[in-house]
Amino acid sequence: MEHTKSNKKELLSVRNLVVEYTSGGEAIHAVNGVSFELEEGSTIGLVGETGAGKTSIARAILRILPDHATRAVSGEVYFKGKELLTLPENEMRTLRGKSISMIFQDPMTALNPVKTVVDQIAEGIRLHQKMGKAESIREAVKMLETVGISEDRANEYPHQFSGGMKQRVVIAIALACNPELLIAAEPTTALDVTIQAQVLDLMQKLQKDRGTAMIMITHDLGVVAGVCDTVAVVYAGEVIEYGSKEDLFDHPTHPYTQGLFGALPDLTKNVKRLSPVEGLPPDPTNLPAGCSFAPRCKYATDACRQAPVGMTEMTEKHFVRCINCGKEA
Amino acid sequence: MLRYVGKRLLQMIPILLTVAILIFTLMYFVPGDPVQILLGDSATPEQIAEARVRLGLDKPYLIRLWNYLVGIIHLDFGTSYLTGSSVAAELFSRFPRTLTLSSLSILFTIVIGIPIGIQCAINANKLSDKIWMFLTMLGNSMPGFWLALMLVIIFSVQLGLLPSNGTGGIEYYILPVVANSIGSLADIARQTRSSMLEVIRSDYVVTARSKGLPENDVIWKHALPNALIPIITVCGSRFGFMLGGTVIIESVFSIPGIGMYMVNGINSRDYPVVQGSIIYIAFIFAIIMLITDLIYAYVDPRIKAQYVKAAKKA
Amino acid sequence: MAKKKNSPAKKQGAGSERPGSFSYIWRKIRKNPGAMLGLIFVIALFVLSFLSPYICKYGYDEIVMKSRFALPSLDHLLGCDEVGRDILSRILYGAKYTLSIGILSVAVSCVLGVILGAIAGYFGGIVDTLIMRFLDVFQAFPNILLAIAISAVLGSGFDKVIYAIGISGIPNFARMMRANILTVRNSEFIEAATSINCTTFRIILHHVIPNAISPLIVQVAMGIASAALSASGLSFLGFGVQAPIPEWGAMLASARGYMRDYPHMVIIPGLFIMLTVLSFNLVGDAIRDALDPKLRD
Repeated sequence: MEHTKSNKKELLSVRNLVVEYTSGGEAIHAVNGVSFELEEGSTIGLVGETGAGKTSIARAILRILPDHATRAVSGEVYFKGKELLTLPENEMRTLRGKSISMIFQDPMTALNPVKTVVDQIAEGIRLHQKMGKAESIREAVKMLETVGISEDRANEYPHQFSGGMKQRVVIAIALACNPELLIAAEPTTALDVTIQAQVLDLMQKLQKDRGTAMIMITHDLGVVAGVCDTVAVVYAGEVIEYGSKEDLFDHPTHPYTQGLFGALPDLTKNVKRLSPVEGLPPDPTNLPAGCSFAPRCKYATDACRQAPVGMTEMTEKHFVRCINCGKEA
Repeated sequence: MLRYVGKRLLQMIPILLTVAILIFTLMYFVPGDPVQILLGDSATPEQIAEARVRLGLDKPYLIRLWNYLVGIIHLDFGTSYLTGSSVAAELFSRFPRTLTLSSLSILFTIVIGIPIGIQCAINANKLSDKIWMFLTMLGNSMPGFWLALMLVIIFSVQLGLLPSNGTGGIEYYILPVVANSIGSLADIARQTRSSMLEVIRSDYVVTARSKGLPENDVIWKHALPNALIPIITVCGSRFGFMLGGTVIIESVFSIPGIGMYMVNGINSRDYPVVQGSIIYIAFIFAIIMLITDLIYAYVDPRIKAQYVKAAKKA
Repeated sequence: MAKKKNSPAKKQGAGSERPGSFSYIWRKIRKNPGAMLGLIFVIALFVLSFLSPYICKYGYDEIVMKSRFALPSLDHLLGCDEVGRDILSRILYGAKYTLSIGILSVAVSCVLGVILGAIAGYFGGIVDTLIMRFLDVFQAFPNILLAIAISAVLGSGFDKVIYAIGISGIPNFARMMRANILTVRNSEFIEAATSINCTTFRIILHHVIPNAISPLIVQVAMGIASAALSASGLSFLGFGVQAPIPEWGAMLASARGYMRDYPHMVIIPGLFIMLTVLSFNLVGDAIRDALDPKLRD
């Protein structure tokens, strides 16, 4: 990783992001005040269990949360100095797919089954680069070749592709307009293990070539170790630990992070799923009053359960949301 | 694809044949003597016997059935007992009127019904959606012939704007088309809403949105094509129903189409007319279903691939 | 952690019934004002229909020449027809025809359709092919035409209409039942039942049918609506119940000749047909929503 953190301009800054869904009249607190920063060309990993709110964060940044279920979004998201959450929809549209794009978890369902793959790539190019149809198709074919799909398959439909190939197409769609920020929502989870490595390599290569910044959403620590510069551990819709990859791998501080990272017994073994911490995450319709991790935490005290816990800076740019950490438990 | 069409056309033959045999047999056993009805009560037994021979009614069941089926293969549906005219010729001459009425109705249905359904899906569970859904249910519950009478009372009798019956220019079709469409329109709107609702939340629609496409393009170019299959099914069967089943509307507006022909045939026990109309309708219906299936293939490449595979296997 | 466990338990507390059970559906219908209105309308109509000879001022077939074509008034709330019969009495008396044709013809389609579909779906193979091809022939025409054709054969009359509409509705029920059985048949609990030596009949009766019952209920409610609609159409064309019986479709047919001058004779029976069909549709819709897991949020 040549991209070090010095001299880089801030690209994205998320401040106190809150997302609430509604279901059957009940409020679901999916994201509860998440903040993080991302510099140009660098990669942040959002790590956490399924349902921790990682994907909601990503969708909120792109403003593609499901209308029917979303109750409230608040906070601030600055992208190159522009606040996205209050941007008019038509301006937001010019950013989507052009400056910020997204790769989805399940390539099986992310592609439109009734359109040819080349069309699906060309569509974005045509829209954002103001190209004609023929030209955009040519660009799209080039893009397909970049992700390793030959030209003669361009006019096929998604159902004719394997899962790994589909994910390559999804990547091609996302990178077609050279975005400055790529949000990858568990891009390899739905793929076979062997394909996972290929897709990841491809993404990293393209990211490096194009200098794209990335938000990598994952629960795979192998992915984090491979691609991320900084890491935010997300638990119950909050960032509970935030710092450089080295900080988190070498000095995991929050009990939850310790559980996750400490449970890595051996880096040569392939650890795929994270659930080394006993118990379940809290019900997002009914969050605890104090620290959301307290019910599962073996160090929890009464003070933990009483009031929300703020972030503590342990070392430079390494933050932890725990009142016991730093006190030396 | 051609092979598939060929295979489907072949499959239609046994169904139509069964329909022909079934309807012929049913008509054979129907109580009531057509000759008696034809000649009236004053006819002498000699006259009746003579008419039987003339109409071929004296021969045994199997021979009559055989003759009938051979006739059908040559597109000869027999002649009307009542008028002596060729049933086939009469069907062909009436078909354009039924076709015009049905085509205009299905067009009206699609053009109005699908946008209503889409709007409802986009605004699902909001007030406008609830109002529209109630209105479509009302449309679904309304007898088309009653609506027809209401429209006549309002637009012909009270306002004198439109003709109440007969055929002629486009103005003669306005009321019948509206009355004929109301049920299908409601059906299509509801079907569109529910299949759009399923599609609108799917991942590829989110992908389309995340490309920065305008919402209209997302709905019309990405969501709708994927929601079309069940909508096409309803359109196809509704169109088939209309082509054969505008009976009541045709009778209200005195449009001399296929439906009227059949109803008159039943009332006057003119069996060749009834048999001919029914087989004809079954044929049209089967063709519409085939066209529907072909449209599926055009809309969805996966279905096309299936067809091609199935045709190769056979 | 305790809080988490609390919440689902609380949700279940409101209705401990299994989704799909009758009490569950009933609870859903009760919450739906449209469906409740529909249900009340149908029940009221049914009760009034049987009470009508005792509560109506005029008999349904009482001819009063001096009040021919009377418009709605206090004396005749819905006016009178061409021979001075009170339309309200006729509507109420006639309600039992529309309602019973709707219900009985669906009973015919449902029983025969379910049996055919169950046989086809359960046994599969040649039996399935034969039954389904036979139903294909049935489905080669529009429903209303099939009903017309059948009543052409059977003749007109109350019972004949029921058969005509009932038979034309068989394929829908059979197809649905077959599809359900195919789904259920391939599921694991049937394998389990077979493995403990349940007889085929027992499996169908105790396992397959209960699992297919909820879509059946929806189909029945919707079926009654469309059967009532078809019945009025048939009678309107003169194939169904015939005048002077005050079936609503037949009333419309005989009123048609006077609609230019006395539109109330046409408006009223049609309105009642529509309200009745609408009621059944509302109830059916509510049941479907109650049973559709996709709509449950």
